[in-house]
Amino acid sequence: MLRIAGIAVIVLGIVVALSTYTVDERDRVIKFALGEIREVDPSPGLHFKFPLIQNVEKFDARIMTLNIPPDRFLTSEAKNIIVDFYAKWRIDDVGQFYRATRGDERLAEERLAQILRDGMRNEFARFELQDVVSGERLTIMGAVRQTALETAKELGIDLVDVRIRRMDLPEEVSESVYERMRAERQRVAQDFRARGQEEAERIRSRADRERTVILANAYRDSEEIRGAGDAIATETLGRSFGEDQEFFRFYRSLIAYRNSMSGENSTFILEPNSQFFQYFNAPGGERPAPLPAR
Amino acid sequence: MPWNEPGNNNRDPWSGGGGGQRGSGGGGGGNQPPDLEEMMRKLSRQLNGIFGGGGSGGGSGSGGMGRGAQALVSLGLIIAVVIWLASGFHIISEGERGVVLRFGEFQQVNNPGPGWHLPYPIERVEIENVDNVRTLSHRALIVTGDENIIDVDIAVQYRILDLVDYLFNVRDPDTTVNQVMESAIRERIGKNNLDFILGEGRGEIASSARVVMQENLDAYGAGIIVTAVSMEQAQPPEPVQGAFADAIRAREDEVRFRNEAEAYANGVIPRARGQAARVIEEAEGYRDQVVARAEGDASRFDQLLAEYQQVPDVTRDRLYLEAVEAVLEGSQKLMLDVGSSNNLMMLPLDQLFEGTSSTGNSSSDTPTPRPLDTSRSVFSNSGSGTSGAQGDRNPAAQRSREVR
Repeated sequence: MLRIAGIAVIVLGIVVALSTYTVDERDRVIKFALGEIREVDPSPGLHFKFPLIQNVEKFDARIMTLNIPPDRFLTSEAKNIIVDFYAKWRIDDVGQFYRATRGDERLAEERLAQILRDGMRNEFARFELQDVVSGERLTIMGAVRQTALETAKELGIDLVDVRIRRMDLPEEVSESVYERMRAERQRVAQDFRARGQEEAERIRSRADRERTVILANAYRDSEEIRGAGDAIATETLGRSFGEDQEFFRFYRSLIAYRNSMSGENSTFILEPNSQFFQYFNAPGGERPAPLPAR
Repeated sequence: MPWNEPGNNNRDPWSGGGGGQRGSGGGGGGNQPPDLEEMMRKLSRQLNGIFGGGGSGGGSGSGGMGRGAQALVSLGLIIAVVIWLASGFHIISEGERGVVLRFGEFQQVNNPGPGWHLPYPIERVEIENVDNVRTLSHRALIVTGDENIIDVDIAVQYRILDLVDYLFNVRDPDTTVNQVMESAIRERIGKNNLDFILGEGRGEIASSARVVMQENLDAYGAGIIVTAVSMEQAQPPEPVQGAFADAIRAREDEVRFRNEAEAYANGVIPRARGQAARVIEEAEGYRDQVVARAEGDASRFDQLLAEYQQVPDVTRDRLYLEAVEAVLEGSQKLMLDVGSSNNLMMLPLDQLFEGTSSTGNSSSDTPTPRPLDTSRSVFSNSGSGTSGAQGDRNPAAQRSREVR
């Protein structure tokens, strides 16, 4: 009896296992009856089917990612750019999806990738590199999505989004970009330095000018002062010496002789008949000539 | 098994991480429903036990054994059922949420704390940490709007906002965040120029990238909130860093050049003013000197003249003789009676002039006044001695003897 009960339990278990299936929130399900689609998209939960006759296939209901590996694209001015992008898609019409792809995700993605790549190529050819890089990214992504929507629909797919992930310049172009960046920085650096030197030169020359002016003004003032001094001195002396010009000449000459001719280094060759030696020659002092009265 | 088809194994509904923990009675970490294979294996083992037990019981005796074996089997069954029911216990830690699915259909979200769900295969709970802030970082060379290349290091923080969305809407949501981040940051950098990104635009780009990311994730219904995007680093690529550094140095140089020039100006102008002051002072000194000396000279002359006028001849002779005396006193003398004899003479002039070059040219320590003959002090040998001659142009003259 126990054995029978055990067998019954097993049989029951097998029957239940074969005649039920569950649908997850993340599943899209098709129920087939002898290969023919009988039911599409049952709600999540527990469902029944006829064992052996009916079977179910499950697909992912979530948004999936189609990565398109980096590839070269040409812009309208025939510049190369390396782009990789991804598409977000989900199964829209699961029956259509099954019919178009036999439920093979990879097949669907391959077809989608083909369309997207072509669309991308066309879009890039419409713009220049500058626009592609800066402005038109969103436009391109939107347009590519639009072109692929038709195909996606045929595949039973909802193309949620197409986004460019990376957009890089090819290696050889990068090098020339670096060159350009270097040159640009050099230009900037030169500019800064030259400006600095300009300003410095300005400041220096202004300082020099100021110095020159200051010194010249000082010279002018000093000469004025000296001149005033000279004037006063000349006037004073002139007034004084003018009282007896002859005596002044005599007196001044004596001083000049004394100043200019005295000292160890002077050598005189004297004639004894000069006036100074009047008494040197003869005590009587016959004068050879009168005293110089100049 | 259709759920095991390729590409669908990430979220296989019944292959949760904690497969073998059913035996732990629902305590601790028994949150995940057991693995299907494991389940089957256990089931078959149990069945084998039942039939094996039954078979051996049937073989050994007909009815007597039945009761004991039946009790054993019942006990086994009860234990099995209890274990089965206990496997529905789960504990959700702080910061986590559990999503309960009944036959794959969403039931509820469980908050932290202990909980129970109908055991496998009826219900399952999927537990995920929602408060944990997840981080992603990304470093890449990116083309800027002005076709330059920039080296950017970006970090993103995000967490789960809606666990149901997170689990059910997007396959591999964390990878999606990564993709969205790359796309958004590149788009934002492509929209802007290098200098802006390197300079003040850093924060703006990060925050606008955050907005773009959030929009995208919302469009996917990813149930994720991006809490922060920060640009950790934005620098020129390695090959051009030298040039950029030089440009920065150039900026410093600009300032330096200006400062140096200003330092020069600051040194020059005050010095020039000082020089000017010196020139003026000297001129004033000269003026005062000249005037004073002139007055002195004039006064002396006046007084001498007054005396001279009283006895002119004697004074004149005296002055003359004194002067000649002074001149001849210190000098070498050679007396020749040239007038009487016209003999040719050989004078040893080189001997006579020997040593002349060494004498008398030591310079005065007072600055020389400007050579202006009319103004020069005329009487260098003023009565008070040689000191009165100071400032005369020829210092040798100062050493002349006094007249008196």
